[in-house]
Amino acid sequence: MIKSENKTREEHTMVIKVENLVKRYGDLLALDHFRLEVEQGEIFGLLGPNGSGKTTAINCILSLLKYDKGTVELFGKPMRPDAYDLKRKIGVVMQNVAVFEEMTVQENVDYFCGLYVTDKASRRQLVDEAIRFVGLEEFRKFRPKKLSGGLLRRLNIACGIAHKPKLIIMDEPTVAVDPQSRNSILEGILELNRQGATVVYTSHYMEEIEQLCTRIAIMDRGKTVASGTKEQLKAMIRGGESVTVELYLLPKDQLAQIRSLPHVAAADYQDNKLTVRYTGGKHNLIRLLDYLKSQELSFGKVYSELPTLNDVFLEITGKQLRD
Amino acid sequence: MFSHLFTGRLKCLLRNKTVLFWTLLFPMLLSTLFFFALGSITEKTESFSTIPVSVVENDAYRQNQWVQEVLKQVSQGDDPLLALSVNTQEEAQNLLREGRIDGYLVPGDPFELVVKQSGINQSILKAFIDELMQTQKTVERIVTATHGAVPSGLLDSLADRESYVKEISPTGKNPDTILNYFYALIAMTCLYSSFWGLEIITGIQGNLSSLGARRGLAPTHKLKGVLADFCAAVVVQFVILCIVIAYMDFVLGVNFGDKIGFMLITCLVGSVMGVSLGGFISAIIKKGEGVKVAVLIMVSMLLSFLSGLMMAEIKDLVATNMPLLAYLNPANLIADSFYSLYFYDTLTRFGLNTAILCGMTMALCVATYFLVRRQKYASV
Repeated sequence: MIKSENKTREEHTMVIKVENLVKRYGDLLALDHFRLEVEQGEIFGLLGPNGSGKTTAINCILSLLKYDKGTVELFGKPMRPDAYDLKRKIGVVMQNVAVFEEMTVQENVDYFCGLYVTDKASRRQLVDEAIRFVGLEEFRKFRPKKLSGGLLRRLNIACGIAHKPKLIIMDEPTVAVDPQSRNSILEGILELNRQGATVVYTSHYMEEIEQLCTRIAIMDRGKTVASGTKEQLKAMIRGGESVTVELYLLPKDQLAQIRSLPHVAAADYQDNKLTVRYTGGKHNLIRLLDYLKSQELSFGKVYSELPTLNDVFLEITGKQLRD
Repeated sequence: MFSHLFTGRLKCLLRNKTVLFWTLLFPMLLSTLFFFALGSITEKTESFSTIPVSVVENDAYRQNQWVQEVLKQVSQGDDPLLALSVNTQEEAQNLLREGRIDGYLVPGDPFELVVKQSGINQSILKAFIDELMQTQKTVERIVTATHGAVPSGLLDSLADRESYVKEISPTGKNPDTILNYFYALIAMTCLYSSFWGLEIITGIQGNLSSLGARRGLAPTHKLKGVLADFCAAVVVQFVILCIVIAYMDFVLGVNFGDKIGFMLITCLVGSVMGVSLGGFISAIIKKGEGVKVAVLIMVSMLLSFLSGLMMAEIKDLVATNMPLLAYLNPANLIADSFYSLYFYDTLTRFGLNTAILCGMTMALCVATYFLVRRQKYASV
């Protein structure tokens, strides 16, 4: 009985559930038994290099693309091209800007919102809110070709979210966007999430994923190679933090002693810089600085870097995220 | 929802300056060009103006009552062949030199024609004199054979030249090959609406446009969206055709006859046909939009050429040698419908053309539906 209740609760909070999704383009296996679970209220990041299958996965989930095998459930129901009740709850911000060149900003948002909301009065309010949300109030009467790349992206977002969807899927919405607009877009995504929307965010920019997402799945060659919170992902790898110290002199004996300190995986001295990589452990930086002081070695600047998602990806797949 | 989709598409179509140029302004410009280029040809070759001519009053003229009667007949009436004056030889020479006559006739055996230059009018005069002489010889032979007993009414009937100057159409309309050019131009305008059709079908294919993907995600039936877009395109094209025809009729004076209602039906059927053709080409060509547009331009130009847009003779040539092609060419069917409405009293030919156009449109729509439905998106 308790088991059944738990299952029901799980189904209710699960917004996306994808199992064993297989998609082939001829001989190319684009999705290889891809699995994904996204819970309500999450900002879920789908991270992977270009060509890893992120967009294909999204398109299969949205029934834009036919797949060879597997199941896709949204809000606990199977997703099909004619599942209009499900589609009504979804908002999508595509990688490419999808707006009408002949319509103004206001008309574009109104047109796409009108595909979901038929009542004109409600729609007018939603359109105003969406335009305000992306900060395009001053550009209502502008045609898309008069907008800069960043503003165009914001319009693209407004068209995708104006109808207040419960699930928002954003496929690389910040590609080719200036830093100011990028920050504005990322802030907007956090705000949408605060307002109750579940967000699936795909990107190959790991900084954005780290900044935004509560959980992350890393994709490579059409499958999920790792998933969890960023802390969980980073804990999966052997490599820990890396410390760099500017040193004007470091005799070989001292370098050897540093290598023998606890948790040190490797230590190198080049161009007056000592770089120490750790396997884990705590207080590594303090321990290193104490050692240098005890040896009366004067040092300059000190840098400490935690492992990145790129390091996670590198260790799991053997290649860089931006390959 | 339908009205929302319809008005949205209508706005886009009416603001698409490029396509509006090709569907509205270009046909108007081309028809103006036709008007000036072909209008002068009409004046020179087909408009039949009275020829100023003089006849020398010599003995042969005074003695030949029959010739006098014939010349008198062809110089009378509402639309006479000749504007005849009887002069002395010297006066006639002066008139010719001053350019007040195209030539002068010197009765005798042989009957002489004196002209200053060659031209259409001079050729007509030559043909007229030749026939006059031939008829005179015939009369002489009859008189000789009957020993002077001329059958009653023979001379009158031989002198009658009414048929020489007036052609009466069985339908009361004059056949006019120049009109064909304008009708073929309207047919081309109809086919240009295929650009709208192409845009519509491309716009619903998620693999070809981001807009297609976004619309594919909306909780709206695809067919409803296509239908709304299609109706908007047909309405815009129909209005465009009405404007083009009004321009040709009221500004250029092109004769469309008086069957306005049936003309509007032809415009409507032509618009639907054009949009359907564009949609079909967009669905069947599995390449990018650039390739589709190129194919569409080629197809519409070829069909327009075969309907006589560039050379009116091509239309007859195709109809004579390849009648099936003529019946399968929508541009030809549209142009022919207009000509049928102008020239024929009955609606048989118009009805046949319209029925074939409707059938073809239906076939294209059904084919497009199945092609688009079966399409699998490779990547979005």
